[in-house]
Amino acid sequence: MHVLKLDHVSKNYGNLNVLKDLSFTVDEGMLFGFVGKNGAGKTTTMKIILGLLESDSGEITVCGEKVSFGDTLTNRNIGYLPDVPEFYGYMCPKEYLKLCGDITGLSREKTERKSEELLELVGLSGVNRKISGFSRGMKQRLGIAQALLNEPKLLICDEPTSALDPIGRNEILQILSNAKKYSTVIFSTHILSDVERICDRVGILNEGQLMLEGNLSDIKDRYRQNVINIELYPQFSDIGEIKLKMEHLPFISSIETENHSLIIHLDDSTIHNQSLLEYLIKEKIQIQKYEVGEPTLENLFMEMVK
Amino acid sequence: MNSYIAFTKKELLENFRTFRILILVSVFFLFGMLSPLTAKLMPEIFKSLALDGIVITIPDPTALDAYSQLFKNLTQMGILVLLLVFSGMLSTEITKGTLINMLTKGLSRSAVILAKFTVAGVIWSLSLLLAFITTFGYTAYLFGNANLPNLIFSIFCLWVYGLFLLSLILLASSFTSGNFGGLTLTAVLIVIMMIVDVFPKIHQFNPIALASQNVSLLIEKVNVSAMIPIVIITVLLTLASLVGSVLIFNKRKL
Repeated sequence: MHVLKLDHVSKNYGNLNVLKDLSFTVDEGMLFGFVGKNGAGKTTTMKIILGLLESDSGEITVCGEKVSFGDTLTNRNIGYLPDVPEFYGYMCPKEYLKLCGDITGLSREKTERKSEELLELVGLSGVNRKISGFSRGMKQRLGIAQALLNEPKLLICDEPTSALDPIGRNEILQILSNAKKYSTVIFSTHILSDVERICDRVGILNEGQLMLEGNLSDIKDRYRQNVINIELYPQFSDIGEIKLKMEHLPFISSIETENHSLIIHLDDSTIHNQSLLEYLIKEKIQIQKYEVGEPTLENLFMEMVK
Repeated sequence: MNSYIAFTKKELLENFRTFRILILVSVFFLFGMLSPLTAKLMPEIFKSLALDGIVITIPDPTALDAYSQLFKNLTQMGILVLLLVFSGMLSTEITKGTLINMLTKGLSRSAVILAKFTVAGVIWSLSLLLAFITTFGYTAYLFGNANLPNLIFSIFCLWVYGLFLLSLILLASSFTSGNFGGLTLTAVLIVIMMIVDVFPKIHQFNPIALASQNVSLLIEKVNVSAMIPIVIITVLLTLASLVGSVLIFNKRKL
């Protein structure tokens, strides 16, 4: 089932075309990474999904219900973490979550139980200070707790990991990937390694259009280059000589050298990988590192936004 | 409905913890205490100011003077404090973005406007009541029991005027940006009401009368019957600006 469906959504700010005919769907149980550089339209897309901004054309449905601007009924299925979550500074975390629970219509016991559970999950249990004294990272954690409070079918996080230290980032990613157990997650970011670590699907947004969308491993397969990197021990072998010998092998289409590394392009890596390894052993070539070239999301992204 | 109650509770807590209730209540209590006292001490003050050869004769102060002081304080400083305290009730939440979390939890925008009006209105009512009761008791103590005509009605007029101003703040904040848009626009509207008051046609129906004819009512220079249409018009305007704020706020991009 599609938890979220965008159908030809467009949005202009004056003359600026922020979203151009954007369509995509997110299925239940997915962790969808929404990638794009700053100003690509990620936040705008999310705000339109939440009914905080009005789209100029197109239709959005959340769990089969149509989203309409200004009316926030579809939001009962959504948990949202804004890029910079703002809270009432005079409350402590528990009070804030209680307010959220009351507003969303949870029973008192459920709010209490969920609050305990979530504060534990985000590492804020036992923090009874006023929110006004919180650091950015603590606010981000509380933001996740409030977003998950009503057990939303769809969790939308706007750049949850930017501006966090490496440890905080790790923990937030862990929390998001745990959240996948109960809800579908969309999270936007421009940190590609985050997407590679936890996402099932990825969409690359550039200039208001989705340049690439799909399963992360499919995308990688599709863009896989048949490249093998071999790093040699310089003291044991003469790189020029090896290059000359290998160039004549039938399964190798070309070889480049770089310092002490050979960059070998094969005809088809899945079949000829084995032949290459056998050849290296037979010739007793001492290798330091053997690496099957993987297309990184980073490279793909650069390619897409070029 | 439940979310309206929840947000109203939050508004109460906010006004309590950010000291808005404390400020308003103590200022109004102070006015309640000071007004009869100033009236009582006025002749003394003038005596000490009297220069050689100039004799200022002032009739003995009465309860009327105490209430004149009260209305002067409330309609000037009192209204100013009310505006300052509540000017940011909606605009701060919009500029800071604290409403985003609430709205994405399914809180309707009309509930936001209504909850804010409810709580500000209740605080205004209590403060005004406190000022009135304090003056009432203290005046009775200083000047003895005085039966002033239209006293309750005169307070009621000021109460309606305060509610009207609160609705204006919400209306102005619903479409202006920045922290002071609501305050500025409301202040401009008050000034406009004062200016257009010179035209007799408008004067008959101008809401500003609710905060300027209070003493005239006490000395029966103005009749209650002349004020009734203004009260009705102001109540209607208050309702209209509340409905207007909801409609405008519903279409606002956040």
